[in-house]
Amino acid sequence: MNLSKERIESLERSSFNVRRHIIKTCITNGEGHVGSALSCADIITVLYKDIMKINLNNDKDPDRDYFILSAGHKCLALYGALIERGIEDPKILETYNKMDTLIPGHPYKNLLKGVDFSTGSLGHGLSLGCGLAFGVKYLKKSNRIYVLMGDGEQGEGSVWEAASIASHHKLDNIIAIIDKNSLQINGKVVEVQNTNPLEERYKAFGWSVRTIDGHNINEIHDALTDAPFEQGKPSIIIANTIKGKGLSFAENNLEYHHWNPKGEEAERALQELREKEVMYDV
Amino acid sequence: MFEKDPRKAFEQKLLSLGEQNKKIVTVSTDSAKGAGMSSFVKAFPDRHFEIGISEQAAVSICAGLAEIGLIPVISAITPFLTMRAYEQMRNDVGYANMNVKVFGSGAGLAYSTLGSSHAVTEDIAVMRSIPNMIILNPGDSNEVEASLELAIKYKGPVYIRMFRQVQGEILPKQEEYVIGRSNTLREGKDAIILATGVMINPSLKAVEILKKKGLSVAVESYLTVHPVDETQLLNITKYYPVIFAIEEHSKVGGFGSLVCDILIKERRNQIVEVIGIEKNNKVGPYDELQQAHGLSPEKIAERVERILKY
Repeated sequence: MNLSKERIESLERSSFNVRRHIIKTCITNGEGHVGSALSCADIITVLYKDIMKINLNNDKDPDRDYFILSAGHKCLALYGALIERGIEDPKILETYNKMDTLIPGHPYKNLLKGVDFSTGSLGHGLSLGCGLAFGVKYLKKSNRIYVLMGDGEQGEGSVWEAASIASHHKLDNIIAIIDKNSLQINGKVVEVQNTNPLEERYKAFGWSVRTIDGHNINEIHDALTDAPFEQGKPSIIIANTIKGKGLSFAENNLEYHHWNPKGEEAERALQELREKEVMYDV
Repeated sequence: MFEKDPRKAFEQKLLSLGEQNKKIVTVSTDSAKGAGMSSFVKAFPDRHFEIGISEQAAVSICAGLAEIGLIPVISAITPFLTMRAYEQMRNDVGYANMNVKVFGSGAGLAYSTLGSSHAVTEDIAVMRSIPNMIILNPGDSNEVEASLELAIKYKGPVYIRMFRQVQGEILPKQEEYVIGRSNTLREGKDAIILATGVMINPSLKAVEILKKKGLSVAVESYLTVHPVDETQLLNITKYYPVIFAIEEHSKVGGFGSLVCDILIKERRNQIVEVIGIEKNNKVGPYDELQQAHGLSPEKIAERVERILKY
């Protein structure tokens, strides 16, 4: 299904807003996992704006869809999306890196509406998702469980425990997404510890797999709308992305996994944002 | 003396609680049969989740089930839940304050012939370090039933340290247990033994031996290891010149260490002696192993007598 041009433009605008939240928050309040947040910003935006069942009046609505940010360090994208969806107030960003912040460097359960789990240690999210999926099936409900992981994270053994469990138990209410930006802290994923070929690995584990361009709103939207792809199988979307996407000098640059914006670099980032504000008319 | 296999007690109680409360679900890591979940699984197959040999995933899965509003009961051999899955226990269950009930089966020296991979003497220490975690350490089958009942009633994470070898009855079944509170089993005036779990029965026997030697020793039993009602503990121990804390656990970070943490607050002039495991480096039949670690009734009595007559 092709989205209308207007809808795509609207989602791209929202994605830009999420990126602006990420970058400005770090410029104003200091360091964060900017590169990692920017690579998944489009995916999270589409999920929150168009895909997930959300009750703005009750964040604990038992019929809601669940989102688990397994790669918790990407949380600035999540915080941005919660704001863009109208779940949280933009003021939360002002607390970043401050005492008793509402938006820690990794999401903390129940500090914000829409954050159901504390994450940060990689490799927990898919198992948490399996627990939700078991519960939802036992209660004969139709909630969906979205779990976003990184490709470096695929090095954690517990991910593969969960991958095996989800397929064995036919947890087709799980829709996992891998933000495959191909970089981890110490280098390229293929060089540090190759987790590829992810498609083949997940297929071999009994998952239904689709690979997309993780910055193409239409492709993201299509994949998330089509999922679950097959009855009786968990679905996974492998989204090829660019780390640091949307900040020219950070794109695909290892140095921006974690960024502490200062001086000229911060100025340059702000200038880029101003140019895009004109482009997106925001 | 009433004696009942602890696993049978767990199995029957789990089934009866499961009949009353549909939110109770069970999670197994290829451990359901050994843990005593079989009757529950047979009665409620759709409420049982067999995860296979994947303890890390299983603990996170429990957190997910709890988020939905269910009450997951997980049971597996102690070290695999408390140590292999420690981080999942800490992050997803403890810090998150999830309503998960964790049964570590065969804790302490129970798997006495299987070596230190299975005979685990560090579980209280690690679980006690996790925020929000309640630790119960039953010492007979009644206490196993009480632990399960208390755990289900309590909203939050509970770790229950299960024993394997059949124990004599400590208190009549109708006795009421309250999380944090201890029970007085024997009165005495020369010293008091604070005992927990499978050390309660040997302590009671030790007191009988000591009685014949003219020594009057009280016994207080602790189903709850953490958090203990501090005021009660301080009041109970107030007038004794010597206090013993006994556990089938490492002396590092266990019940004895916790007792010392509480007692030191009042800086009293008392002798506090922790009787526990110095080094978990022996393998053998359970009774002999207990004795080798100084935890048999005779060894406990000897040690108490030595200190009282010092």
